[in-house]
Amino acid sequence: MRTSKFKTAAIILLLALLVVPLFFTSTFVLHMFTLVFFYIALTAAWNIPAFGGKFSLGHAAFFGLGAYTASILYVKLGISPFIGIVAGTFVAMLGGVILTFPLIRLKGPFFTLASIAFAEVLRMVAVDWRALTNGSVGINIPFKPSWLNLTFTSGAPFYYIALGMAILVILLAWWIRSSALGYHLRAAAADEDAARALGINTARAHFLGLMWSSGLTGMIAVFYVFYNYVLEPGTAFSLPLFSLQPAMNGIIGGMGTVWGPVIGAIIMTPLGEFLRFYLGTIQQGLNFVVYGLMLIAVVNFVPGGIISLLEPWFKKKKTDEPSSADN
Amino acid sequence: MELIVQVCVSGLLLGGIYALISIGLNLIFGVVRIINFAHGEMVMVAMYLTFWLNYFFGMDPYVSAIIVLPVMFLFGVVIQRIIVQPIQSSSANMKIFATVALSLILQNVALIVCTGNFRTVQVSYGMGTFELAGIFISIPRLVAFFAALGSITLLYYFLKSTYTGKALRAIVEDPIIARLMGVKVQKLYMLAFGIGCAFTALGGVLLMPFSSVYPTVGIPFTLIAFIVVVLGGLGSMTGTFLAGLFIGVVEAVGGTYVSPALKEAIYFGIFIIAILIRPQGIFGKGAGSEEVGLK
Repeated sequence: MRTSKFKTAAIILLLALLVVPLFFTSTFVLHMFTLVFFYIALTAAWNIPAFGGKFSLGHAAFFGLGAYTASILYVKLGISPFIGIVAGTFVAMLGGVILTFPLIRLKGPFFTLASIAFAEVLRMVAVDWRALTNGSVGINIPFKPSWLNLTFTSGAPFYYIALGMAILVILLAWWIRSSALGYHLRAAAADEDAARALGINTARAHFLGLMWSSGLTGMIAVFYVFYNYVLEPGTAFSLPLFSLQPAMNGIIGGMGTVWGPVIGAIIMTPLGEFLRFYLGTIQQGLNFVVYGLMLIAVVNFVPGGIISLLEPWFKKKKTDEPSSADN
Repeated sequence: MELIVQVCVSGLLLGGIYALISIGLNLIFGVVRIINFAHGEMVMVAMYLTFWLNYFFGMDPYVSAIIVLPVMFLFGVVIQRIIVQPIQSSSANMKIFATVALSLILQNVALIVCTGNFRTVQVSYGMGTFELAGIFISIPRLVAFFAALGSITLLYYFLKSTYTGKALRAIVEDPIIARLMGVKVQKLYMLAFGIGCAFTALGGVLLMPFSSVYPTVGIPFTLIAFIVVVLGGLGSMTGTFLAGLFIGVVEAVGGTYVSPALKEAIYFGIFIIAILIRPQGIFGKGAGSEEVGLK
């Protein structure tokens, strides 16, 4: 009974979201929704390794790899962005392989450190390798509106693309979490040694988790670049924008759960934009100070994230879902 | 030939400062068992303090250490008390979040208060060099090296021969047994964080005469300090010192012969090799630094 109520609510919400562009023609409203969807997708993708307790601060690496692959293919070689999406996903995955192969056995903090370093190294390479990336100048996506070029004259198509991506990644995350892989990851998060003793190949689980995560991040990045028309190393591999922001959304919403990242992104993205546009003109950097304070507050008072506050309400609906946010 | 000697000497001198900053991290990492992602930001805060003392009062950077070090000691104690202590018993990830948040706050407060401009201190000896057997040696770098060497020696004897020092080492070896032996762990955590912060700050002060400060100056230092501690081994002063010098030389050689833009790639490579080959560090005393923060 409750599940069907939940389903009805989800369908109503989805229908409401589908008609939003018909009623709001303001570019600001559409942009805000699109951005929220982007960050929901990014955070949900970031969150997949977090099922296994791996905390990455280097997802900007996968973001940058995906973004650069598609835009180099399109701008320099004239290859359609639709091929770019596939290529970007694969190159980002490859980045995931390069990062994980040596590091799969690294525990908590060392994985985090290595992931930061990895993204920083790629940023340096992107600045340095001018022949391929145009260095710090960056790459501009030419404005040639067409479906095939993934370039549109209005904001509505990207609204739907971002919405679709957010739904896709949430569904994938939900599916992964309730699949064997998800149980392996959650076992590893709870107690790595015990999980191994039970015969779970935790290294393989972490590896697969990161593959999903890096590939999806790369894919999202391709759309993001075509939404913004411009790409340069400082933003594509940006630690605050694409490593810290998804991580923060995830922690504040509830790391390692399916809906935590969604809640986190819905709260943090508009807040961030508000602080950046309204207060940012007065004081640059103030948004990050607020983020930092929120993060400390969450760590101290609600270590499971906002989702853990909603847990009693959620539990009634899904009694078979044990919470693993607080490992 | 002359070039390589020149490069190695500059690297060694810079390595002294890296060692100093990493000793601070080693103490915090080893005693408090927290992965301090805001470590580089402590260097940044100390550099700004040195800059402002010079800007407003015309104080010589080296003299300003008399003020900067006690202030940073207190800063460390306060961080431990307010931010770390409440989450001491929670998981490693929670501690990472808290220190990442701290680094974010410090960086952006610096951006708000001091703007993003590069700030330098103008001193007469800033560019001073002298020649020794055909090799040019920068005076502020030489001063920094010997100050680092001196203060690390001082810390070494403090840890070896005083009661407090022994208690700190006991916590590094085994915090639970140390507590059972009557060591006042909470107080010593604050002390260790304070001392670690002060040593890190000294690194910042010594850097100031020949480098500039800006809000994100600390990011590479966090990375460098972790690499040095991992290489040198947790709780090993000698190891940290030698590893610091090693990283300094690697940076100088890599910067000259490969590309200055890729020095972080070189750090990253060393970091991975070090962790894979010997996670407890070259001079590590068991304890397994790779396990730290997970217990």
